[in-house]
Amino acid sequence: MISRIFIDIAVACGISTFLALVLVIAQRYLADYGICKVTINKKKEVSVQGGISLLGALSDQQIFLPSACGGRGSCGTCKCQLTSGGGPVLPTEKPFLSAKELGDGIRLSCQVKVKGDIEIQIEESIFNIRRYRTKVIDIVDYTYDIKGITFQLIDPQRIDFKAGQYVQLESQPYGKVKQKAVRAYSISSKPQDNGLIQLIIRLVPEGICTTWVHNHLKVGDEVFLTGPYGDFYIRDTEADMIFVAGGSGKAPIKSMLEYLQVVGTKRKMTYFFGARTCKDLYLTDEMKAFEKVFPDFKYEPVVSQPCPEEGWEGKLGYIMPYFPEAIRDPKNTEAYLCGSPGMLAAVQKALVELGVPQAKIYFDSFG
Amino acid sequence: MKLTPSEEQIMARMQPGVITLNGFLGFDTRNLNEIIADDEKVLEMLGISAEELAERMQYFSDKTFESYDLPVLIDEIYEVETNIVRGKLPCPFRHPGIYRKTITTLTNRKQQITVRWTALSIHTIKEHHFFEGKGSPFRLDPQILKKALLD
Repeated sequence: MISRIFIDIAVACGISTFLALVLVIAQRYLADYGICKVTINKKKEVSVQGGISLLGALSDQQIFLPSACGGRGSCGTCKCQLTSGGGPVLPTEKPFLSAKELGDGIRLSCQVKVKGDIEIQIEESIFNIRRYRTKVIDIVDYTYDIKGITFQLIDPQRIDFKAGQYVQLESQPYGKVKQKAVRAYSISSKPQDNGLIQLIIRLVPEGICTTWVHNHLKVGDEVFLTGPYGDFYIRDTEADMIFVAGGSGKAPIKSMLEYLQVVGTKRKMTYFFGARTCKDLYLTDEMKAFEKVFPDFKYEPVVSQPCPEEGWEGKLGYIMPYFPEAIRDPKNTEAYLCGSPGMLAAVQKALVELGVPQAKIYFDSFG
Repeated sequence: MKLTPSEEQIMARMQPGVITLNGFLGFDTRNLNEIIADDEKVLEMLGISAEELAERMQYFSDKTFESYDLPVLIDEIYEVETNIVRGKLPCPFRHPGIYRKTITTLTNRKQQITVRWTALSIHTIKEHHFFEGKGSPFRLDPQILKKALLD
């Protein structure tokens, strides 16, 4: 009886092993898509190993589409246009694509598996995006929950970006976090300092990447950054400018002002920085100092809820009521905004009501 | 209550460090179905649905959004503010869509209760009846939540 049981177990194990082997062999040979060709913008061809995602295949070729979730199909930022190949749109992609995008062949590159030759269209600026090996050379506490981090570029050693653009930072596994995370942060340094990148990072409650930055990152650590990304940058006109930022939204505006300091400008500029309490203000002296750099620049910190003991004597409440005194010709005013969606919605509404054209309002709404 | 492979995958996504730092399950030893079933029993006892609670949460979050991220006092009882930070989160149940990293904090002055939730909490409660596991940073006890939002 017992021997019969052992024989049955052995037979079951044998069948399982056989099926597992069949699966492995099938995976190896039947799902081997070989080398596939990806044609980009009808002019560049790259050969990639089939069977992996288009996002990963392009990344292996040093072509980095933006991706805030590391290819998990949850952020919807790695869109590109497929003009040939790629198979049907997956259910995981549809929530991120509008009817027009679906009609235009837009896909999430992380969800497209390369199983044959593919033709894609991407913006030319994506060819400028690189993955940088960097070393942390400075960490500064700006407030109780905001740090400034400076990275020296090791390989490649130089980056070409526009003031206002952002990079993606890869955090490493730590504590309970078993995998890398990728998050986007605006560059706060000026493009002319192209051997380094500064970021301003606010600690996000329950944030995987910001907790790593705030609690684990040290001077001397190696960090990988990818970029530059984004279309938030200064338009080359003579229009007056209004900058509005809150929290870590100061980063791209700082980069823009430092850039303008180098190239010079006579444009009228007003910078409103919104903070909840005085403890949320930072780099105030540095921003005020621009009033001596530019012929017509004003830095206006506005605090909404100052504590009595803080003795705040500056502008109080919402930012918007102060706009009229800063805008002399609404039609000839550009606005550059970076902050939370709530703030941006209120600011945009106020600017449009004052006559600033919607087309001249540029913003980065916290990813 | 046994889990299907798909539910096991959902629980894997709820572990610390996958979507959020500390995950969605806290120190709870119950599985996903048990957590949901137990909270559904409490809801039944309270005579309110998860959808109703979620809609009330959304109402308060929307009120603060209209006020440009500043605290608002509603009906002289509810002190509510929403903090929005950079980034978005996916649903651990793999539902379509991504949710802004918002934290709404509500204090019911009458009941002296403070609760907080995220945009993702509203979704998981409304669509999945999931209030998170005990000990999770954003666990919402249905009984306390009802008291805070409606009493």
